[in-house]
Formats: sequence, structure tokens, C-alpha cells
Amino acid sequence: MSSASPSATLAPRALRHRRSARRMTAGQQADFRRAITEAQAIGDDRGYQRWAGIHGLPLPISCVHGDELFLPWHRAYLYFFEKALQDRVPGVTLPWWDWTNHAEGIPGPYARRKANGAKNPLYDSPIQPSGRTSPRQTRTTRSPGDPDELPSVREIDAVLANPDFLTFQNQIEGIHGGVHVWTGGTMGSVPTAAYDPIFWAHHCMIDRLWYLWQLRRPGAGVPASLLDRALAPFPMTVRETLNVTQLGYDYAASTAAAKGPGRG
Amino acid sequence: MVERFTTDPIELPPRDRPFERADLIFYGIDHSGPSFEARIFVDPRGVGGDADSTHRAYAGNFFVFGHGGCFGDVGHCEISPQRDPFDLRPPHQLEPQTRIVTVTDSVRALLEREVEAAKVTVVAYTEGRASNEVLAFDRVRLATYA
Repeated sequence: MSSASPSATLAPRALRHRRSARRMTAGQQADFRRAITEAQAIGDDRGYQRWAGIHGLPLPISCVHGDELFLPWHRAYLYFFEKALQDRVPGVTLPWWDWTNHAEGIPGPYARRKANGAKNPLYDSPIQPSGRTSPRQTRTTRSPGDPDELPSVREIDAVLANPDFLTFQNQIEGIHGGVHVWTGGTMGSVPTAAYDPIFWAHHCMIDRLWYLWQLRRPGAGVPASLLDRALAPFPMTVRETLNVTQLGYDYAASTAAAKGPGRG
Repeated sequence: MVERFTTDPIELPPRDRPFERADLIFYGIDHSGPSFEARIFVDPRGVGGDADSTHRAYAGNFFVFGHGGCFGDVGHCEISPQRDPFDLRPPHQLEPQTRIVTVTDSVRALLEREVEAAKVTVVAYTEGRASNEVLAFDRVRLATYA
């Protein structure tokens, strides 16, 4: 198996699928909300606040932007956060926000204040005191723009057509920044962005676009000089991020499953 | 920091040398302040203050996902002017960035009008902030790929 060629067919075990946020079933949404809620309730290094804080405040700000490691660093970040959620609810995966679909801007599961009669943990999040850029910033906020201003399929296709990894990465990072700005509020600033639950869906979309670029160009990839670079604070190198199959996930629009008769 | 900047004229490629893609590459972009959109215009004379994305010279945009200020003690966000080649730590968070904006259609349109050089105007736009004076970069280069 090529280290740069994701392949669900060659996976040694059944992969978990990251699905479109707009196409999650009611049960999948409920499981994901439960995982976030349970992670929010933990105050130690397993909890949501700790994971959100890695990206920005409290210092040090560990995220990588404007750098040749932008895509690998964020892939590692999503991987370890998703693992933390799976410790709470086994099998949950991060959904991806397809912002090229301009029908509704913020996807429904993240846009509703309440879900099933309870507070929706995907709508907003507390911000720990050490994560705030001002004392009054106790919860995340958004001020989204016009959905038609979000990146278009045409723009994404043009970026995906780029044969050089570093140029592709630079352009996709630019588009990524535009969606942060479009979402506004907490998402619009590096130190606080990851506290907003939609941050993870946005970055899942970015990761998915890298995955799609990799599928189109199995022979191309990250320059060899970067492969053994560490992605602090994660115990992972760039090389170890290249194959999502080896990380145990794949991207699908939607999934549904049923049990078979068993083999006994 | 400025709100808008217009470069000196940049020479366009010869009309008889076809290319597949033309990029404007912005080097040394400051991202220590608020996030902003930079709207880019390419025109022989530059563009006026009221130009927006419907202007004929509009060529594209890039976004800067900003740090929004310094949250450390004095000196925390100062970048050391010299870097030890044996220093294996990651680069400073605020090392200036590079942005690449594909402007193929704009350059081709200028060449069809027999324009030989054009100025690049960059206008910063921050949603809902009092000041748009957030733009700083070192240089911009026009690169074509055949």
C-alpha cells in the first residue's frame, strides 16, 4: 500500500467514515452531540476545552498556518481529537461541512440552538478563562456572512487541479481562511477558533479536500524533506499523516448500516 | 499597516508567449493582527478607492486568518531577526506568510488590450471593524506557468 494513496479497499479492518454534516442520520447526530457534551463535561486533558486550547489560547498557540505543515498538522489535530471523542462514544466520527453547498451556510446540525429539546452542544461552546481574548468572551459566537460568498465548487476544482502539493496547500489554506472569516465571531481569530464546534467540521472539509487531491495524484505528495518533521504537540510525523486508511478513516457523503446474520 | 497599497507597474509576459496559468505571489504578509480579506486589482493605472469586486480590474482575493494581537508578555510576539541554522524548533508563529492568487483570466484580458505593464492594488477589508489598516507585505511577484 502506498503511503500516499488512501484506499478503503485495502484497509485491514473496517474503516470509520466521516460523513457530510448535512447528511448525518438523526442517530448519528445524537451520538456526535453526546460525544461533544461528554467531552465538554471533562475538565482534564481528555476534555473539549483542552483540545480546543491546543489550537490557540492558552499559550502556546500550537496550530500551524502559513507554513508547509498546515495540512499535516491539522490532520493530526483532527485525528487525536476524534480519538478523544471516540473514548466517550465509540465509533463517532467528525462530520465535514461542505461549504461549497450554498443552500444554508452553517449546516443545520450546527445552526440550531436546541436539539431534541435540549441545548445543542454544536451551536456554541463555553470558552475557558485562559482561552479568552477578553474577559467577557465566555462563550463562542458567530456572525456568518451571505452563503453565496462561501467558496464555490468551481474555485475548489481549480485548486484541486494544482499538481504541486505546496501550491495546492497554500491555495487551500487561503480558502480555509476565508471560511473562518465568513463564519466570523470566535471562528474569525486564530486564538479562539477551535472553541467553536463548527471549527472541527470546517477543518474536516479541508482535510477531505486534501484526501481528494491525494486520490487524484497517488504519485505526488509532500516533499521528502518534510516527511520526518514532527507535528508538535502530537506524537506523529508528517509521513504518518499521509494515508488516512492507516489512520482508520475514510470520507463518505453518508452511511447507514445493518447487522448481518452472523457467522456462528 | 495600511488599508490599501498600489505597487509600481509590473511587467506582463510577452503576448507571443502563451501560458497556462498566471499567479500573483504575495510574500511577507503580516498576520499578527485581525483577520481580513485582501481584494486584488490589476490595472495599468491602479484603481480608485471605490473599487469593489465588480470592478473590471478585480482579479481575486486572499484571506488572512489573523492572530488578533499578542496575548503574551513583552517580547512574546517579536520574531528574532536571525535564526540559528541548528535550531530545530518550529518557526515563530508570526513568521510572515505567503499567499498565491491565480489571476490567469485577468492577465490574459490585459494582454488582449495590449497592456504591457500593470499595477497591483491590494485593498484590505475587515468585516465590522473600525479600521481596515491591517495590510502589510514585503513584495508581490507575477509568475506564469507554461
